[in-house]
Amino acid sequence: MLRQDINELLTQTGPGTPMGDLFRQYWIPALLAEELPENDSPPVRVKLLSERLIAFRDSEGRYGLIDEFCAHRGASLWFGRNEGSGLRCPYHGWKYDVTGQCIEVPSEADNSSFCENVKLRAYPLVKVGDVLWTHMGDPAKRPDLPEFEFAHVPPEQTYTSKRWQQCNWLQAFEGGIDSSHVTFLHSGGLKSDPLFKGAKGNEYNMKDTKPFFEVADSEGGLFVGARRNAEEGSYYWRITPYVMPAFTMVPPRGDHPLHGHFWVPIDDENCWTYSFDYHPGRPLTAAERQAMIDGHGVHSKNIPGTYRPMANMDNDYLIDREAQKRGETYSGVAGIAMQDASLQESMGPIVDRTKERLVPADSGIIKARQKLRKAAIALRDEGVTPPGVDTAHHRVRSAAVVLPQAESFLDSCRDAIKATPGVPHSSV
Amino acid sequence: MSSLPMYASESAKAASASESRYRITVPIAPARNARVIALDTRAASVARRISDGPWANARFYTCEAAPDRGPADEFLLYRLDGVPAALDDMLRDTDVVVIMATDDSGGTRAAAIGSACSARAITTAGVVLGDGFEADDAVAALRPHARVLLLSADESDAFELLRALRV
Repeated sequence: MLRQDINELLTQTGPGTPMGDLFRQYWIPALLAEELPENDSPPVRVKLLSERLIAFRDSEGRYGLIDEFCAHRGASLWFGRNEGSGLRCPYHGWKYDVTGQCIEVPSEADNSSFCENVKLRAYPLVKVGDVLWTHMGDPAKRPDLPEFEFAHVPPEQTYTSKRWQQCNWLQAFEGGIDSSHVTFLHSGGLKSDPLFKGAKGNEYNMKDTKPFFEVADSEGGLFVGARRNAEEGSYYWRITPYVMPAFTMVPPRGDHPLHGHFWVPIDDENCWTYSFDYHPGRPLTAAERQAMIDGHGVHSKNIPGTYRPMANMDNDYLIDREAQKRGETYSGVAGIAMQDASLQESMGPIVDRTKERLVPADSGIIKARQKLRKAAIALRDEGVTPPGVDTAHHRVRSAAVVLPQAESFLDSCRDAIKATPGVPHSSV
Repeated sequence: MSSLPMYASESAKAASASESRYRITVPIAPARNARVIALDTRAASVARRISDGPWANARFYTCEAAPDRGPADEFLLYRLDGVPAALDDMLRDTDVVVIMATDDSGGTRAAAIGSACSARAITTAGVVLGDGFEADDAVAALRPHARVLLLSADESDAFELLRALRV
């Protein structure tokens, strides 16, 4: 359980809140690069950390992320004309560049300097991998660009999707470090999902439904090791890295790609779940990429033209009780992503953590909350840069290994949990 | 009369902010009858500091090797006020034991306590505090028995674990 004041501290990310300030220390995903596919493509409304913004790509290919509303009369620039190296409000023709600087006010006299004094709030928008990242904090403290491996391998080796999740970011994120639910909720997927099935590790997963856990600090966050019995004298370990504030990876299975998530607050009752797959050592096969597009693995099948899952709370996630009875799915909801989302959203927009009954197996969640709370308070009170800002902290990988019983996963997997270009990932 | 749609979407209503106020609210009684055992001197200091917390049922103990050079896994338990305690009595009616260590001196005792808990179907958690890995043996000894091992440099993690468990 959490005290109500701590729950509020961790779940509120708007401007001026401690967690909001914490998120503003990092580069975070703002949108997928595919959303601004070409110069002068239509602008996109973006709400992040409870701020309404508009993203656009100008005639020179520069990306901009600026206040959604025109400084003149407050009209949404989503209706704007993206042309001639700027975004023009269609109401009275005020025009802005990618820095938010007003560059034309047609009603003013020619050569007037009026527009020089009109500037909308703007944040940088930078493409790294398939994602457009932004930093919404103090420009003087802007860190280096993110170095997560999924965003740096060649394009043919990686795939990223996103989906709208209708709940607070924290309860979505907590699913990412909760290894114990896999044996139940995702048991159907271990047998049938094209991006999960066939791995030797799945057999260990299914045979031992009561994993043991080890939770250890890392420089950027945590490593959570889930241990199950393997052959005599050995354990099967699944190692989940967490990099603050909201990056998690799922331990791999066989030669399937690695995958993971970035959980980004839209506002306090909605978040974006960015889901990625990548293979450090080879291009994704056509079948793998198609499976991702089709919503398998950690991805979702979205309503065409949107990032809202086709299975969502308005249609009860298309629950299929017959498939549940047949054992095809454990909860009746199809797909790993929506199995998670359906339960996380069912908790309500912001789960009341004063009513939880946690158990020792939830120690990863307990520890992650503690790290977030401490980092937010240290930033607020002493200006301490939080873990995960340093790009060296980004170079982690998940791993799945079999080790002799006496060995520590931290000692034995030092190389396996480090992202090293060109080095294959460790997976069973 | 029109029929209901295939999915009436009660869950959509239930997941909304306005519907959250209809959640049943009753006080949650502490569910855990916890015992916290410090295996070494520094762990005992931590146990003393956190024992002042708002605990309902948690009781705190220290653990020392038996002085008469008996078998290596023989040990003595004490309440924090110094009163000796017997392992059987301590574990009676307990459903979770949290073992704390800061070094390797209690490795053998960790294994013995963990084994006793396993035999009684008592959930065991290990909290190993320290910057480096001064407690590798303690970790290895606890590993077969502890459902969770929390390896941390932050003493307050022990407090937070107990608070989260509502002990």
